[in-house]
Amino acid sequence: MQNKTHPLLIAFAVLVFFFLLGPLVIIIGSALSETSYLTFPPQGLTLHWFENIFEISAFRRTMATSFMLAVGGTALSMLIGIPAAYALARYRVEIPRFLGNVYVLPILIPEIVLGFSLMKSLATGLGLPITLSLLVGHALLVLPYCVRVVGASLNNFDFSIEEAAVSLGCTRAKAFFTVVLPNIQAGIIAGFILAFITSLNDVSVSIFLTGPGVSTLPIQLLAHMEQFFDPTIASVSVLLMLVTVAVMAIVERTLGLTFLTK
Amino acid sequence: MTVSLTLDNVSAHYGSTQVLEDLSLHVAEGELISLLGSSGCGKTTTLRLVAGFLQPTAGTIRLGDRDLTRLPAHARNIGLVFQTYALFPHLTVRDNVAFGLKQRGMGRKERDRRADEMIARVGLDALADRHPANLSGGQRQRVALARALVIEPPLLMFDEPLSNLDAKLRVDMRVEIRRLQQANGTTAVYVTHDQEEAFSISDRVAIMNAGRIMQLDTPEVLYSKPANAFVADFVGFENMIPMRVVAEAGDAVRAEMEGGATMDLPRGTFDVPGRDFILAARPEGLLVAPEGSAPGIPAKLGLRTYLGRAYQYQCDTPAGSVMANGPLSAPFDAGAAVTLVPQPDQCCLLPVEA
Amino acid sequence: MSARLRAWLLVTPATLLVVLFLVLPVLSTLATTFGDPKGVFAPYATFFNSRFRMTVLWRTMEVAVITTIVSVAVGFATAWVVAKAPGRARSLLIIAAVFPLLTGVVVRSFAWLVILGKNGILNNFLIWTGLISEPLSMLYTQGSVIVAMIYLFVPLMILTLVGVLEGIPQDLTDAAASLGATPAATFRQVILPMAVPGLIVGSVLVFTGSFTSYATPQLLGGERQMMMGTFLYQRAMVTFDWVGASTIAAVMVVVTLTTVLFMSKLARKLNPVAG
Repeated sequence: MQNKTHPLLIAFAVLVFFFLLGPLVIIIGSALSETSYLTFPPQGLTLHWFENIFEISAFRRTMATSFMLAVGGTALSMLIGIPAAYALARYRVEIPRFLGNVYVLPILIPEIVLGFSLMKSLATGLGLPITLSLLVGHALLVLPYCVRVVGASLNNFDFSIEEAAVSLGCTRAKAFFTVVLPNIQAGIIAGFILAFITSLNDVSVSIFLTGPGVSTLPIQLLAHMEQFFDPTIASVSVLLMLVTVAVMAIVERTLGLTFLTK
Repeated sequence: MTVSLTLDNVSAHYGSTQVLEDLSLHVAEGELISLLGSSGCGKTTTLRLVAGFLQPTAGTIRLGDRDLTRLPAHARNIGLVFQTYALFPHLTVRDNVAFGLKQRGMGRKERDRRADEMIARVGLDALADRHPANLSGGQRQRVALARALVIEPPLLMFDEPLSNLDAKLRVDMRVEIRRLQQANGTTAVYVTHDQEEAFSISDRVAIMNAGRIMQLDTPEVLYSKPANAFVADFVGFENMIPMRVVAEAGDAVRAEMEGGATMDLPRGTFDVPGRDFILAARPEGLLVAPEGSAPGIPAKLGLRTYLGRAYQYQCDTPAGSVMANGPLSAPFDAGAAVTLVPQPDQCCLLPVEA
Repeated sequence: MSARLRAWLLVTPATLLVVLFLVLPVLSTLATTFGDPKGVFAPYATFFNSRFRMTVLWRTMEVAVITTIVSVAVGFATAWVVAKAPGRARSLLIIAAVFPLLTGVVVRSFAWLVILGKNGILNNFLIWTGLISEPLSMLYTQGSVIVAMIYLFVPLMILTLVGVLEGIPQDLTDAAASLGATPAATFRQVILPMAVPGLIVGSVLVFTGSFTSYATPQLLGGERQMMMGTFLYQRAMVTFDWVGASTIAAVMVVVTLTTVLFMSKLARKLNPVAG
């Protein structure tokens, strides 16, 4: 490269990345420690704390809840988000511009305000069961990801291909499923997975909607941290990091991680 | 302020691949030379080396008596027009044009005056306060030109400057570029893959391939007397027929082509470069004539197409398929046996490369 | 079926979800604040006259502003290096920035609990070096919240700005150099002005994100360093003062929306590119 980056700047960037990754390395280390308190570097190496996660029923339950919530909420959001994204990309004349902004409202409105408002209206106001409120909240929370990421794929899609299919005798619906959908598959997978991880990690919305008997993993983690300070939390964190790694691998395979810089 | 540009034995690499090999080039004072070739031939690399965006791995680059080789790009004082125009989107037309003057420490008043003057010269007076986003392709091109000219550089370089314009505008702009370059007497290097553009605008053209200059000459010479098979092919000598001298017959040379057919080439009209050579001809250089009417290549006619000024035939010869033209007055039918007569002023005999 | 009808049918479910479960509930929250029998603006009078509430608001502002400024500076310098890095190194650096970004807030805040705690790594290290003899109490201070917030938002800033910097065509910096601009001048006159809209977008994300955060101030600030998010939760779920909580929510909405609107207007003004 002709423009050499200043060595001091490079040194600074190295420090920044050390700052970004160091704490995560510390968590991994302390999850493996044999001690009953959190320490780094680990003293001795054990996987005991990972087994311990599954012995604590609250973790087992919330893990299942969080996973199902993330899958269910994202699926629901995709189910209604894909048609919206498709309409926004396909019917530019028929759909008013501002409607595209409506679907990013869940990002614009502070999450904690959204959580509080949902709790007031749904859980308390309408008396909706906790699980249902959580599902709605999470579907709403991830809607922007579904519409935006799928929308990005659709913007690169040449709709004349769909018209070609229709001219060859496909019905509109069949053309969508056989021509459009396969071509935006990468966007759907990437959108799904980003939405999934957002839902899985959510605190601000869930904190208001969880209730007796039903909680999510991050909320359970928060509660656990306030009482105990043992490596179990670290090992749950490591599990969550493994999920992150899987998510990154899928995004890399579909849209590429550089997609996230756009 | 006119100076010459000299490249001496310049080589360049991208990583481990060599993209320029021992290239030497001299552009005389006030001359416009085009670097012509398909993508990957090294023409843009050459330009970027001279501009200072790339460092050569060997060789020197001089502008007049100034050695540029190790000079950073911003100290070279070369006017550059980019394929993408590279206008600063956040600046108005005036500020774009004045950018170079600002770098030279010129006060705002003076640089605005000079920028406006140059903007007027390229005919954009009314648009000086606009941003590039609000200009048409042709207008952007003029701004790019004005921006490169206003710093009064001793050398102007153009990197495919017209490739993003439509056909009509391309012709207008290249005339404009030539006019401004000649009016200032500025030395210029012009990179393009468009043969017509290069030939129409240049004093001399360097045809490049695989990091080397294959031939450097005036457009006229390149067009009629290519020095090698690559250049011949590049300038449209579609037919390349390998031949071998088999006998010297008085004032003619008897040559044999693949398939055994022979042909007598009179000395004086044809300059045979060696025992093995290539007869290169455009379709109009091979005249379709009745069989045996003159010395030539025996052929059987295939598909006939109408070109307006002539008929063109696809012909089967012992040496393979060739394209040849025939007069409108005497059309031949498909399947006819004919002789293809090489026209001395439109054919050339090329040495076979090792 | 007409295209218009089909288009509207396709957007209806998503629009209903947002309107029914976001717009209406949030509006109802805002409406709550105006229904006080003591007067329409009584909850706001209470909020803005309470020394404690104002302390929380200002603290939140301060944390968000400092986090934003540091994240912009750190993120810009780092993004520069990433954008300039050769292919393979660049991909690795992007992975290294995405990884923390996709790791949950709780996990990332927890890491700082481990680092900054009384028996945490930093204290142990400082005692080991002999710089201090007694562990410092670093948790539950504004500093610990800010450090964790910066940690939270730097990756976002890096990724946003890498995109921005890579969106500046190489031709433009080449053109600037050919016109005699030194690297410093090119940075000042070309790169910086072109990066401004991206810098603003990144700043808005960081500011609103840290202004409305909950988990990080909860874990690292606790009761002592109450911020708007934790304060809202406390009002709603501990003292069940829903009007008070709604008022906090309203203030948060106003602050974030004003910031977004003002900054996007500013971005448009500073970005004449779009014409």
